[in-house]
Amino acid sequence: MAGNVVTARFPRRRMIQIVATNVFRFLFRGAARNWIRNLSSTAPALGSMTLLLLLSGVIGLSGFALVNLERVESSQASLLHVYIRDSATSTDVDALWDRLATDPRIGSVYYTTKAEALQRAQHIPGLPQIADAADSNPFPASLDVQVKNINDVAAIDAMVRNDLAVDPVSPTSYDRGAYQRIQAVLFGIAVAGLVFVALLGFVAVTVTLHSIRAAIHSRRDEVAIMQLVGAPRWMVRGPFVIEGAITGGLAGAAAGLVVFGLTMAGIAAGSDSFAQFAPGVTVTVAAFAAILVFTAGVGLGSGSSLVSLRRHLES
Amino acid sequence: MPSIVDLIAVSRAYGPRLALDDVHLALEPGELAFLVGPSGAGKTTLLKLINREIRPTNGEVWVDGIAAHSLKASRVPDLRRRVGVVFQDYKLLPRLTARENVALALQVGDLRVSDHEASERAIDALDAVGLGDRGASFPHQLSGGQQQRVAVARAVVAQPPLLIADEPTGNLDLENSWELMDLFGDIAAFGTAVLIATHNVEIVTRLQRRVLTLVAGRLVRDQPAGKTGRLAWLATS
Repeated sequence: MAGNVVTARFPRRRMIQIVATNVFRFLFRGAARNWIRNLSSTAPALGSMTLLLLLSGVIGLSGFALVNLERVESSQASLLHVYIRDSATSTDVDALWDRLATDPRIGSVYYTTKAEALQRAQHIPGLPQIADAADSNPFPASLDVQVKNINDVAAIDAMVRNDLAVDPVSPTSYDRGAYQRIQAVLFGIAVAGLVFVALLGFVAVTVTLHSIRAAIHSRRDEVAIMQLVGAPRWMVRGPFVIEGAITGGLAGAAAGLVVFGLTMAGIAAGSDSFAQFAPGVTVTVAAFAAILVFTAGVGLGSGSSLVSLRRHLES
Repeated sequence: MPSIVDLIAVSRAYGPRLALDDVHLALEPGELAFLVGPSGAGKTTLLKLINREIRPTNGEVWVDGIAAHSLKASRVPDLRRRVGVVFQDYKLLPRLTARENVALALQVGDLRVSDHEASERAIDALDAVGLGDRGASFPHQLSGGQQQRVAVARAVVAQPPLLIADEPTGNLDLENSWELMDLFGDIAAFGTAVLIATHNVEIVTRLQRRVLTLVAGRLVRDQPAGKTGRLAWLATS
């Protein structure tokens, strides 16, 4: 009698569960245990990476603020305030307005009254005290001229400074070379920041490489036994990479939290003045910077481990 | 029957020094052979070639059909899972119990082996080496002989076709050495080829198994089982 061949259903889900459990044990649990066991040798790497990531975060946020500041300065430098003489007639002012408005180099012209100038000054540090000290409103009316190209500002200034409507003592807000000076200072700060971060990065990577090398050295017998019983390469190397990622992740988390906390403290201390010194740095930007610092930490830790493994662990 | 181990014109040099010179060797399934010779004769080098810890300078090394001589580093674990290894210094992981040490060898080779299955098979292997009741002991809680038996259990738990042992009795007293040799005999009887590098003359002469003699890197003598004679020369090596 012919029988039926019965094949048992392959317990795929259970198999996946077993494989996942084993992978978790060999990679993550082993790495976590070893990380805790080697904490004393990992501490210098943890410290230097935290410092690096913290400073990188602060410098990164400062750089972001500087870029925004440069944009603001650029925009302000191409905005020429043409100050109107108090005794100027409306005909003279209108004539000047017409000349400016029809000039193809100029984007827009806006008339600011003395009252508006006073109101604007209240938001600029130092100027409210001048206004309070004076008997009358010391701020002149002005034609605010938005020049299309920053390089034309000097020519516009020369064109208007002897006009009948213009204040002869302080004709315009034009300051020759001021914008270039600001740019030079910002560029210098950016270069110094990058050099500092590069140096600190070198130190952090070197310290991390040494700490992973020490971990490999202290576990060389264990590694040799794992290799001898046929452990695949990922199983031998993986825990070291994850240990590095744990170190970098913790350093990144700590640094990210401090960066976020510092920004929040700055915003809480005075949102107006903070926005002037660090334009564009908001809570969202700070949170993004913290996440970036954390991610960089994980990458730095695991990357350093990989480099160290390549150098010091024989296959 | 195809050989488990085939060495064809194998040479291995360390710098200018030739550790193995034109060695030809074949080992059949279920065969137990001793590898003897004076210190520096090339015994350990030969075992390392079989386990692909090193590559030959010339020649071919075949292990269970795998070309060890040309094997990529990423494929070495595949070969190692076919070769059980026993060392003089046991090489057990001190932080794991005897059972965990044995189970580890199973699970690193096959992630589909569950904890329960690995544990059961590890206890079976420990039972087979007479240590079924010491599975929960850590290596430092075991004697040298017991540790070596745990190492044997670890080496055979995945039922590899080949077992190599480098001076396995080097740290054992005579009684433990004989027990270990009985164990190797039983393993060979189940079809696993066993190659043992040793200096122990008494064991080699009394067991009357195949003896391969290396001198200065050359395989100078290959005596079949039962025809090993007195091997008096070994006593002077």
